[in-house]
Amino acid sequence: MVDIGTLSLVVLLLMFVLLAIGMPLGFASAFLAVVTLYLKFGDDILFRSFGQGPFNVLGQAVYRQMVNYVLISVPLFIFMAALLERSGIARDMYSSLNVWLSRTRGGIAIVTSIMAVIMAAMSGIIGGEVVLLGLIALPQMLRLGYNQNLAIGTICASGSLGTMIPPSIVLIFYGLVTETSIKALFTASFLPGFMLATFFIVYIIIRTQLDPDQAPLPPQEPGAPEGNEKRLMFLGFVSRFGMWITGVLTLRALFFTVTGNNVITEGVDPIFLGMVADIPWLIGTFVLFGVIMYFIVGMERTAKGWEMGYGLIAPIVVIGVVLGSIYGGITGITEAAGMGVVAVFTIGMIRREMTFEIVWDALLRTLKSTGTIIWVTIGAAALAAAYTLAGGPTYVANLIVGADMPTMGIILVMMVVFLIMGMFMDWVGIVLLIMPVFLPIVVRLPAEEIGWLGSVDARYVPIWFGVVFCMNMQVSFLSPPFGPAAFYLKSVAPAHISLTDIFRGFLPFIALQLLALTVLLAWPPIVTIFL
Amino acid sequence: MNSESVWLGPLRTPVRWAMIVFTALALVIYAWLILSLFITDEPLGVHEMIRPEGRMTVILMMTTLALALLFAAIFTSDIRGTIEVERTGPFDILSLVLGRLSMIGITFIVLVMFYEVVARYVFSGGTLWANELSLWIAAIVFLFAGLYAMQQRSHIRIYVIYDMMPRWMQKLSDVISVSLIWVFAFCLVWGGYADAKRRLLRLEGYGSAWDPPIPGTVKTAILVIVVLVALQALSNLIADWNKAPEHHNPADEIDETEIENIRKTLEVDKN
Repeated sequence: MVDIGTLSLVVLLLMFVLLAIGMPLGFASAFLAVVTLYLKFGDDILFRSFGQGPFNVLGQAVYRQMVNYVLISVPLFIFMAALLERSGIARDMYSSLNVWLSRTRGGIAIVTSIMAVIMAAMSGIIGGEVVLLGLIALPQMLRLGYNQNLAIGTICASGSLGTMIPPSIVLIFYGLVTETSIKALFTASFLPGFMLATFFIVYIIIRTQLDPDQAPLPPQEPGAPEGNEKRLMFLGFVSRFGMWITGVLTLRALFFTVTGNNVITEGVDPIFLGMVADIPWLIGTFVLFGVIMYFIVGMERTAKGWEMGYGLIAPIVVIGVVLGSIYGGITGITEAAGMGVVAVFTIGMIRREMTFEIVWDALLRTLKSTGTIIWVTIGAAALAAAYTLAGGPTYVANLIVGADMPTMGIILVMMVVFLIMGMFMDWVGIVLLIMPVFLPIVVRLPAEEIGWLGSVDARYVPIWFGVVFCMNMQVSFLSPPFGPAAFYLKSVAPAHISLTDIFRGFLPFIALQLLALTVLLAWPPIVTIFL
Repeated sequence: MNSESVWLGPLRTPVRWAMIVFTALALVIYAWLILSLFITDEPLGVHEMIRPEGRMTVILMMTTLALALLFAAIFTSDIRGTIEVERTGPFDILSLVLGRLSMIGITFIVLVMFYEVVARYVFSGGTLWANELSLWIAAIVFLFAGLYAMQQRSHIRIYVIYDMMPRWMQKLSDVISVSLIWVFAFCLVWGGYADAKRRLLRLEGYGSAWDPPIPGTVKTAILVIVVLVALQALSNLIADWNKAPEHHNPADEIDETEIENIRKTLEVDKN
């Protein structure tokens, strides 16, 4: 009835109005789906007979989301993160990392970043991480007299890495909305995530080297190992852990050989490190680690190193289970999340920390977060379906692509839109509402013009854009006035640290995030290296 | 578990006993089913579970399981979780009970997936039903979780302008929001009723070997839940009508209990 241009404008304006009056995002989108259909078809078609008509697309769209297997991974990852934060795994990991780096300038800040990366690889949620790091690392850094801004920035910026390093709930939603392979997205985001973490660590090292007063060293504890001795102990720890890993992998490969699971069949991917041909390599590595442990390090040092590094084992096992399940070709994303829950629960049982109450509490949190996200998912799915039916995305894409703007100019405008929206809105709303409109535009731009220094294969454009989006959302966790990381930290920081102090501490780290974003835009091949 | 009763009152003890008895019965029948895998020629598997066809054991299994879940959900809904808001109306009870069912459902999904991965990976024989069962449970979990989130007023909203409004304008905005939710619910039912009814009456299957009636049940469930959500929204509106003007800031989203719990975890045996 109404032409698509007017329809788009009306829907956009109404969205602003409804959000301004405080209507929940999910229901606002759901209602706008109704408006879209109304403007498209008019009431005589829509209400001609009860029980059918174009309104059925709403129910269909909701149904498609409800029976989406990948969507199940979302509550499972939330459940896993909720269990994880109530176990002492993080605390032990911190003490272990701290032992190795305590005598390094800026050591605790570096430990915080490394710990954040490991935690990010375990789960894909932020929030809990910032709180955990704020409770563990902040008091220690302040006690030692670390620069307050450095301490705050490190904790929040690193704590937000959870959604940049796989598994990432942001990328899962991006994959759901755009029907991109989530496994490919995870692989692609690995290097950029690591790059960002490296930026943080390098920045900490440079800043503390230039001005050592910002990160005083803790006093040397009597009897604590030093220098080479410590390095040897670390080597001992690594060797012993390596023996465990290779040992288990060898047994696994032998098990497959005995049961005949790894017979080479055409068309079936070989099991990663599980084939007969892998066994000599595994045994060789096992022996090599053993030799290092016995003859270079010595048993006594190894035992000490093992004790010091013990806290690192549980996190690595969890990462091995989750990412190993995905990349080992054992399971998909959803089952990997389920296995993650089982792994965290089992480790908690072994550590005698899991109680019925902790599990129940974690479930309650999972339920609440899932319910919150599900309405946005439902509403956005309905709106996207209705708007697509009305021909909206094609119209917008034609409008923009036909406007004869430079490719990178369009991309930059999108980045600005993401950054501004990220200041006010939750990432899940952005990905669900904006992506169905933006991605069709991006894939229709000439792929060879994307990037300044290198370009990306047209096949990989959606994946590249997903990683770019994820990097944008990194900024949104820190950007004032509503950066969630700031509020999480505020709730655990000493009272004299104000919100303004916290946001001031973020500035250099936001600059680093923007630098990482620039790298992604300038040199897109960085995301396709491992694909 | 001796906290204050949310709604059961004196009925709490009988419900607790019902929960225990039915759970025990369900476990006994389940154990019998496992045992019969080894001793009978035609054991009953998951395939038969959704097709009773007069088999007594199946009917008993499913009934006791359903009752055990129901009473567990009712009993646990009587205990207020640390992060939950106060119950504000009679309608909340339904949302809370379904929310508890949903929580139990999440653990079932994890168990089903674990079983499937172990069966496939260690015993190299995957099941025909695990994926679809978790899909089915998850669809229901999502819908119930949505209702629960509505009861808990846990939404992604933007409060910047809303907070600046005087209370009467906030009330007006809330009325508009709730009426628009009703419009959506009405249109959804208008467009989907015939489709859902047809599939429900046929108990339309998923078209796989196990063939659970996912489309048949979930399509109807969506319509029912959206209507319930609209009712819950109305119930919230009435309950919150005389509240003092609200001011939100992002710090409210952070829950103190969670932080307290994490703090406790960190302090344990930090000797």
